[in-house]
Order: sequence, then structure tokens, then C-alpha cells
Amino acid sequence: MAAAAERRGRHVGLALISPALAIVVAFFIIPLGISFALAFRAKDGSFTLQHFDKSFELYTTDLVFSLAIVLLSSALIAVLSIAIAGYLTLGENPRAVAVLRWLYRWPLFIPFVVAGQLMRTFLAKNGMLNHVLIGSGLIEPLQAQSVLDWRGIVIAFVWKQAPFVTLLVAGAMASLDRQHIEAARNLGAPRWRVLWDIVLPQVRGTVLVGVVLSFVTMLSVLSVPLMINPNSPTMVTVDVAYRINTHSDYAVANALCLLSLLVAAGGAWFYLRHAVKGAEKT
Amino acid sequence: MRFRLITAVAVAAAFAAAQPAAAQTTLNVVSAGDQNMVDYVNNYLGPKFEAMNPGVKVRAVGTGPGDSGSQKIYEKLSAQQKAGSAAWDTDVAVVHQRGAATMVNEKLLMPYRNDVAAGKLVSRDTAKNALGANVDGYVLPMFHSQIAFAYNPDLVKAPPKSYAELVDWVKKNPKQFGYNGVKGGMSGVGFVMGWVSANSGLGDKLEKGPYSAGDKATIEKSLVGLKDFNQNVVMTPGNAGTLDMLNRGEIAMGPVWVDMFYTWQADGKMSPKIKLSLPQPGLPGQPMYYVIPAKAANAALAKKFIDLAESPEVQADGIVKQFNWYPGIDPQFVQSKLAPADWNKLFTDISPSDLAKYGRPFPLSDYFTDIVEGYERVVLK
Repeated sequence: MAAAAERRGRHVGLALISPALAIVVAFFIIPLGISFALAFRAKDGSFTLQHFDKSFELYTTDLVFSLAIVLLSSALIAVLSIAIAGYLTLGENPRAVAVLRWLYRWPLFIPFVVAGQLMRTFLAKNGMLNHVLIGSGLIEPLQAQSVLDWRGIVIAFVWKQAPFVTLLVAGAMASLDRQHIEAARNLGAPRWRVLWDIVLPQVRGTVLVGVVLSFVTMLSVLSVPLMINPNSPTMVTVDVAYRINTHSDYAVANALCLLSLLVAAGGAWFYLRHAVKGAEKT
Repeated sequence: MRFRLITAVAVAAAFAAAQPAAAQTTLNVVSAGDQNMVDYVNNYLGPKFEAMNPGVKVRAVGTGPGDSGSQKIYEKLSAQQKAGSAAWDTDVAVVHQRGAATMVNEKLLMPYRNDVAAGKLVSRDTAKNALGANVDGYVLPMFHSQIAFAYNPDLVKAPPKSYAELVDWVKKNPKQFGYNGVKGGMSGVGFVMGWVSANSGLGDKLEKGPYSAGDKATIEKSLVGLKDFNQNVVMTPGNAGTLDMLNRGEIAMGPVWVDMFYTWQADGKMSPKIKLSLPQPGLPGQPMYYVIPAKAANAALAKKFIDLAESPEVQADGIVKQFNWYPGIDPQFVQSKLAPADWNKLFTDISPSDLAKYGRPFPLSDYFTDIVEGYERVVLK
């Protein structure tokens, strides 16, 4: 009797998730499988590694570059989001906290391609950043340089993703028990100590989740490197678009995508390890 | 209850009224290229054609810029061919040379040039030869675009007349020349093609063939010089990036599309003092072609549409005046339809004889691939 009820429950459960599962299978798993197959197929249909050979021959530097840029951006995002969220939680000037809370969220609503365009004019040699620096006397006109290279990509990524991670981390910090913070403050600890020793260890999980999500998102962005960085090396997404648009070479494009997937999978492994650990603790 | 009945009747009436009054034919035009190509059909060609042919509706769809846009059209037609459809849903397509060459090879297109009056108005080689493929009869050029060096005459007193002079100029004026590489857009690709044409010694073979895979080594050797050249130049983020940087004064010279350049000047996005020049042995340009799919549902209407689009009046008003492109049909037929000021605008900096001498086609498809991949192997490493 109990076994029959359990079986029925399982069937109902499967029926409930089947629409979502169908969409994931149809629009993600199957195309991924096709992409995988095409990356290994030669023109005559046989199995080949030539596309991967070509990918490594021409684009190894770009793969390493993509990983480096995204890691650097993730690190900066972590630092920035902890700093902003920390100030929102521990700040003592209510007006400053209110202004910061209102201001930091704006880049959230801006798509990457718009962020890329903004940075293109902001970071150029004769762009707004340099005009402000020259106007305020911080640099000489001849010292102005264009930041439209790997630094521009990092700036665009950090500017766009930090608010998202800050949102997560600030939320986690706000839900902490204020007793610990107040106790530490009462004992005379400076605010940075409270942040580092008391608040941060408790929100470490959320920071990791936000950073990993940003890592995977930034790895997939085409617009920002295409619009900001004309130099070589550049990110792998630009190479994928280039192989398709200029050479109609879907095979190498698929191979490059699979390699990016491997890199992203590294991030996913991090995330899952933490989530499993978290689930085991509770 | 009454309210529901009234709503239902109102909806049914609206639905009935929305049905077309008489039997209407729809002409489907699919165009690769930027959004302005679709707007051209929707805002200019379409209404003109509909006025001349009552009962016909022209519908234009864009597939995106560059060869990938043409690739999408090819894939669609190829799929319909493989499925054995009796009538295909595209009547007129506007594609690039590579796309047209592939489509003719796979018998996806209908020959129509001898069936339209405008077919006699085109004598340029591009109407018969698309990057080495024989497309005679299957295509008519919609326009001819051209890449040229745009330069700031205040900073560049005497623009370099050849690639050798350019190399010297760049050494004396580092970081004043900018181009967008091969991954940023076709103006940069065109510059690299011109470089190889000037420095490899292969000359006309690149454009006329026959293709020989053994030339890869020669091509890569000519690209070694480009790697050194790149140390003294600025890489720009795209066709528009070069124009932006020229306008902001960050570079003094760079390769640009002539039509894009003139359009920006007309829109006020580019300083009017910037000028154009063509170096020896030349820079490439490319036409886009009007084609009719082999099993187009409305082939007769499609031919009439293309005839309208290639008529001297439309070429003068639409192609030259609106878009600042060089016309698809022979220039002498178009010149008489334009005021001298409008005609001369295209030829102020680059004379018709310069254009004839130094405006080249792109190399054959296989050489194109070799040059671009050679750039990646030699220059980008």
C-alpha cells in the first residue's frame, strides 16, 4: 500500500518536471550533442581531430588569454562587491549608505553590448575618461592613452558584473545576525576587522556562488571583446564569430566552443563542490 | 452574457475585415547586409514597385551583415532544394559574391539576366565573375562598394601613393595609421588583401587564378612584413572604429568603405575635411548581387522588381544619392540622371580613372582563405 503510493508520488513528480526537462533537453542537451559531434566530424563524415588541431594551432593564446581575463575580472569583482556590500552593512553614515545603495545597482540593467559601446567612447584616447583626467589636472594631454585593450575588457566586465554579485552578497550580509557584529564593535574592533573576521566567513558561500556565475557569464560574452579589443590576443568568443562569419567554418567554431565549455566546466565544478558541501552541512 | 456576445461578434467582424479584400501576391525579398538594405526596400523600392503593380505587396527581410548573412540565405535555399519543395519562398535575394558563387555552383539560382532590360546596361567583369566562379546570367550587381584610405589632410600633407611609401610614412609617423585587422571587419581584410597583392609578386593571379596551393608559402612570406608594420600602427575595433578614431583625431589615416565614409560625412558624424585616396596597386571592393532562386514562386514579378531596381533612375536616386555607393550598372547610364554636383561627390577625391585602375576585386575564394589564415599564422602569433 505504501509502496504503491510512493510509486504514484514518483510518477506525479516526474510528470511535473517533464515540461521543464523537455525544454532543457530540446534546447540545450540536443544542440550540445550536435555541436559535439560536428566538432569531431571531417568533411567526408569520418571521425577526426583536425579541427582541434587547428584550434590549438591558431587559438591557444586566445584560450589562455580568455581564462586570464575572466579570472582577473572575477577576482576584482569579488573584491569590489565585498567592499560595497561591506560598507552597506557596516557603514555608519546613513545618507552615504543610502546613496551607495541606490547608485551601485544601475549597471545591472544595462546589457553587455550597451556596456561595450559606452566603454568604447569612455575609454578612448580622446574619450571622456581622459578628458576628465586632463581637465582635473591629473595627467598631461600627451600622457593620455587609450585603454581600449585587455584593460578595457576587464573594466567593462567588472563594471557590469560587480553590482550583480554585490546584490547577492549584500543580501547575504543583511540576513546575518547583527549580534556578532555589534559584539565585535562593542569590544572595539575596527570595521574592516569586523568585515574580515566576522562577516566575510559567514557569507563566503554566497560570494563564491556570485563569482562563479559571473565567471561563466563573462566567458560567454562576444560583444564586449569585439567592440573594445581590436588587438591580438582576444577572447575565444571573437574567434568563434570570426570562424563562422569569415570562413563558414562551423567545425572549428564548434571545437572552440567545446574548449570554452571545458573551461566553464571548471567553474561549475567549483560551484557544485561548494553546493554539495553546503547541502551536506545542513 | 450580453457583453460576451457583443465582444465575440466584434472580434469576428474585426477578423473578417482584416482579411485582404482581393487576392494579393506577396513578393519576398531577402537581403544580406546591414539594416539599411532592408530599409531601402521597405521605404523606397517597395512602395515604388507596389505603385507600379497594384495587388502586389513587397516584403523585405534582412539576414544580417557580411558573408554570414549571405550564408544564411544559401542555407535556406539549399535546405528547400534538398527537401524537394516545389516552390521556394524567396523571390529575390541580395547576396555577396562568395554566397552567389556557392549558390550558382549548387544550381540554386535561375538565370535571368537576358530576360530583363537592365541586363544590357552592365558590362563590368563583376557581372560575370564572382571571385573566380562563373556567374554569367545569374546575377546583376546592385552596387559596387570600394575600400580606400581616408586621411586627414592637416596631418598627412602627401598621402602615400603605394604600400612601400605607406611603410615609410608609418615608420616616420608611428601610431598614426589604424586598421581593423582581419577579425574586425572587411575594410581591414581588404587592406591585408591589398598588402599581399602589392608584396607577394603574385599580382593578378590572386584575382584571376588559377589557384595553386603552392602559393601559400609566398603569401605567408609577404605577410612577415605586415607583422613589423603592425608594430607602428593602431588596431581599430571595426569598420566604424576606424572612422571614429579618424574623426576624433586619434589616427591620421586608415582604410574605410567609401560609401560608409560619405554617409557619415552627410550625417555630420565625420569631419568634412577628411579626404580619400587609393594607393597602387589598389584596394578591393565588392558588389552585392540581385539573384532569383531557381524555384522562386513569383519569378516573373521578381524579374520586374530587379528591372526596376537596376533602372538608371533608381540607381541614380537610390544607390548613388541615398547610399553613396558606386552604381551597379555602368556609370555612364547613371550619370545623365544625376545633377553634376551629386555625381561629382563620389569622384572628388578618387577620379573615375583612378577607380578603374586601382579598384580591384577581392581575390579568389581559396586565395582569400589562404591570405586570412596566413595572417593569423604569421602576423597574429
